[in-house]
Amino acid sequence: MASSKKPGTAARAAKRKAKPKQRAGAAPHGATGASRTSRANRAGPASATTGESTAAGATGARTDPALFDPLTPGEAAEALRTLTEDRRLSAMAKVGRYRVVCCEPLVVKPPHDLAGQRLARVVVYDYAADRTVDACVNLDAGAVAHLELTSAQPMLSRDEEALAVSIASADERVRDKLALGDAPQATMHYWGRTAEDLAFARRSAAVVFGRGDGHASIVAVVDLLENMVTQVVPAERW
Amino acid sequence: MSNVIREANWTVHWRLTESAGIGIYLADYRGRRVLWEGSLPYVTVDHQRAELDLPGESTDEPGEVHGPWWLPLGTRTLEGPVRMQSFRGGVELSAAFAAGPYRYTQLWRFHADGRMSPWLTILGPGVHDQHTYHPHWRFDFDLDSARRDVLECFEGERWRRVDREGWFPYSGEADERGYVWRQIDPASRAAIQIRPHARDDAELFAIRHHDGEWAPYSPRSTAGAQAFPAAYVGEEPLEGEDVTLWYVAHVHFDQSYPYTAGPWIKVDGLD
Repeated sequence: MASSKKPGTAARAAKRKAKPKQRAGAAPHGATGASRTSRANRAGPASATTGESTAAGATGARTDPALFDPLTPGEAAEALRTLTEDRRLSAMAKVGRYRVVCCEPLVVKPPHDLAGQRLARVVVYDYAADRTVDACVNLDAGAVAHLELTSAQPMLSRDEEALAVSIASADERVRDKLALGDAPQATMHYWGRTAEDLAFARRSAAVVFGRGDGHASIVAVVDLLENMVTQVVPAERW
Repeated sequence: MSNVIREANWTVHWRLTESAGIGIYLADYRGRRVLWEGSLPYVTVDHQRAELDLPGESTDEPGEVHGPWWLPLGTRTLEGPVRMQSFRGGVELSAAFAAGPYRYTQLWRFHADGRMSPWLTILGPGVHDQHTYHPHWRFDFDLDSARRDVLECFEGERWRRVDREGWFPYSGEADERGYVWRQIDPASRAAIQIRPHARDDAELFAIRHHDGEWAPYSPRSTAGAQAFPAAYVGEEPLEGEDVTLWYVAHVHFDQSYPYTAGPWIKVDGLD
């Protein structure tokens, strides 16, 4: 148990891929373009101001910690209802092929106009349009304060995790490879590394099957757009 | 249990998030604001199949044919309660998370002398031995005020001012106390000093804060684009602005696990 934690070749390979390529201080490879796109779509809340804070202690002294409290069930329902009633999302609400990924409190720093307001951040994945809706709902005003539509992939909702398990468990190729005692252990949000992988651009989950002791046996990749298993891989070959 | 800690010169609020572990917010040291919000938005895991010596498998096959994956550390993966415990000279929050072959213990430790330790103990074992963990911490420090922050990086045997957003890996260089990055409030000369774990292969992303660029609910941005936080990095100036810092560790699994990743953070100048 005394082996060094110095990463081996494999780790270095992984790290090289994980890191931006340019020298310290420079924008990572491709990041500038991505950022421009990102920033162009990220104008911030409609009421954004340019001066974000000026006075010492401005971000803290006037901030009510209760704004960070979890949303009540009613607040969460109101946030989602307000969002789906927004005209900009009428098509999404009408088709009804979306999953609510998350609904949590959001607190904006003073002196922004939204500071001090009870806000909810709602993240939804719209399957019909294959896009993510990331919204800030002002619960005090009953209005959507910020709406962003992107092709980013948010984490899986609990419903999607359950659906992926259900699809994978019913697949013949998966069932053929399961050993006695194997069961779904975890559902991971997965994306492919290269364009050849279907999961590169399509919303996907990887269901890990194995025994209760943590030993993994099979990984099944589920395409959540088509509700089908696209890969079945022995865990030791993942 | 209250979600406010008032102990060891710290006042800290905390909450269990849906996906970013235990998040802390409105943290003061000796009555002065240090942190608006800090969290662990995600831990991605890469597997390196090419390194495995499997019978019948060609050594010419390309490695890492699979991409990374992750699952949220939060309400759905929490094991047991969030614990708050005092220790000699401080207080800590801890929580255990589990999902399949992955086990983590997240820690936030606060020392009376101004140190703060946002750590993650990784217990493994993963789906096989050849894999690397990439925990991502996000810090929105507000040292006395949100703006007028200055970021410095220790490079070339001295502290250098960072003018623009960017990526700042730990090269092995550090000041005499081991600190590599620091965020300074010029008015008060108070500073947040950041020291990486020597084996984290750590890197820091510095990004100008924008409302609307809240912590993402996934590292995955558009297909083919950089993941977050790199996707947020542009050319915007940092000096005098509100800065968000991301500390990212890269930890390869080995037999000597568990391994505790994460930086040492020290608040100076608020005594």
